[in-house]
Amino acid sequence: MKKKFKSNLAKFAMITPISLWMYIMVALPFLYIILISFMHPGTYGGVELGVTLDNYKELLNPLYLVTFGRSIVMSTAVTCVCLLLAYPFCYFVAKKNDIQKKILMSCIMITFCVSMIIRLFMWINLLRSEGAVNHFFINIGWIQVPLKLVYSNMGAMIGLIYMLLPFMILPLFNSIEKIDYTILEAACDLGAKPFQSFINITIPLTKPGIFAGSVMVFIPSMGLYFVTDLMGGSKTLVIGNLIKNQFITARNWPLGAAMSVILMLITYLLLKAYQMAGGSMDDLSGM
Amino acid sequence: MKRKVALSLTSALIISSFVGCGSSKTAENGEVNVFVWTEYVSETAIKNFEDEAGIKVNVSTYSSNEDLLAKLKSESEGTYDVILPSDYAVEYLIAQDKLEELDKDALPNLSNIDDAYLDESFDPGNVYSAPYEGGVACIAVNTSKVDKDIKSYADLFDPSLEGQLVVLDDYRAVIGITERAMGLSMNETDPETLSEVEDKLLSLKNNIKLYDSDSPKSALISGDCSVGMIWSAEVALSMDENPDIEIVYPTEGSYVFLDNWCVPKGAKNYDNAMKFIDYMLSADAAKINIEDFPYLCPNKAALELMGEDYIANEAKNVPAEVISGGEFVKYLDTDTMAIYDDMWTKLKE
Repeated sequence: MKKKFKSNLAKFAMITPISLWMYIMVALPFLYIILISFMHPGTYGGVELGVTLDNYKELLNPLYLVTFGRSIVMSTAVTCVCLLLAYPFCYFVAKKNDIQKKILMSCIMITFCVSMIIRLFMWINLLRSEGAVNHFFINIGWIQVPLKLVYSNMGAMIGLIYMLLPFMILPLFNSIEKIDYTILEAACDLGAKPFQSFINITIPLTKPGIFAGSVMVFIPSMGLYFVTDLMGGSKTLVIGNLIKNQFITARNWPLGAAMSVILMLITYLLLKAYQMAGGSMDDLSGM
Repeated sequence: MKRKVALSLTSALIISSFVGCGSSKTAENGEVNVFVWTEYVSETAIKNFEDEAGIKVNVSTYSSNEDLLAKLKSESEGTYDVILPSDYAVEYLIAQDKLEELDKDALPNLSNIDDAYLDESFDPGNVYSAPYEGGVACIAVNTSKVDKDIKSYADLFDPSLEGQLVVLDDYRAVIGITERAMGLSMNETDPETLSEVEDKLLSLKNNIKLYDSDSPKSALISGDCSVGMIWSAEVALSMDENPDIEIVYPTEGSYVFLDNWCVPKGAKNYDNAMKFIDYMLSADAAKINIEDFPYLCPNKAALELMGEDYIANEAKNVPAEVISGGEFVKYLDTDTMAIYDDMWTKLKE
């Protein structure tokens, strides 16, 4: 009895702070955003009480729809490239011995030790038209005119892919590592060619990782506006930029809130689709 | 093992939330809470004030007027004693009855300010505000890369400048210069006129390589962009680094700003706020501030102390006729703001 109480107390002590944290820091602001998305904009920022659907109607403005659409296309592209880059890498690492695995995966994690902004500025320096990368290609004669690697859509994509690649690698690696190689051997024994066994066995077995990684790349890529601002020269709008502009420059908080609600809705639908496809929520956090 | 780690992390979190609540040492004459722009007020000047007056200065910073207004709205009254809003923000704060009147008797150093910068339209008679520094959104040209003779905002729309411009990431500035280039005011509100402005604005799109308000000088210095529409002090600093860069004050009259010391309603340390502002208006303090942040200096007593390299540098010491021929941005109503925002989104899309 006493023991049970003790373990309950320990559980309680560990769960309470995080639950409180989640309620106060996540649920309340969420609720606040949803509420103000139905109010009228105040003359000088802020909101005026009242209930209206105008903010949602305003979202049907083709201007915003196009930006939303473009942002989704861009996020899809970022997710695909991340997947294509991460899969071979994870496959390669998963075949190494334990120490090599630890070293290689640490190389991925260690980038988190330096501030995102500093790493982005490093990329800008490397990729700008007078930077090292363009100099190199011009000197070896591959190109005559510098490539527009930053301050363009291309730059924004490079920034997002770089930032989000680890979030693809970690869940993907988890599931690739778990593959039972005896199954692949069996397939080989039964006459399957490597390509066949990859399509029919490896991919289905790593589906949870692919899904989890895609969700973890796709969702943030719609909101990381500072990456597109820095690398894209503020010329590419993602949904995050639109929301920021409404809150800070246009002083239309309710419209910004309505956009945030739509973004949350997109996120929710994605997660729902992910669950329906058999994805587990644990895989999203199980790094 | 995992549990132990979790437990120790949790306890660390709880403990750390209590640390830092300890009282800081208060100076003999109390304190003053100052809320100012980032990279705009010299730490040396603040330190000197602390030593001389025996007042502790708590500094917090913001990076746009909108940030400042949002903070004032969300924080309780009395959080800040001194703020540093720009012209249109002063006008707005006065309209909202959010400022305390300044006690002129406590500000003898206000006489250091050149008359040209007093009694401005946003605060006639300087009842609520005292000028600090100011500047202009002007043009920087890298003469080694651009053949075209650029004299005005209108020249920035020339198709030959395709993909060469760095402009401020500030919609009032970019739309404002478009309006000036068309011979209009930067504060147009008529929807029909604004739809013409929109067409003109969108023709600038191809010329813009980069929007940057934080450090637009970097792209100019590195040679990534050869023409810029940026703050005068940024041009001044880029000229120090790259001698090919020249400053151009547009012939249409520039986008001008002036930042001002104010005291928000309900300030808890009003007397210390007056002492702080008066110190900042003194010639010595103004000189230190200008040396660190070479914007326009409205303080004529400080100008006498400045060296020849400041006086002769027309990017730092902005000519008086540029200021008098320029225009301040004004606060616009919500409907007009929506039109401006729409244009801005179209430009960026």
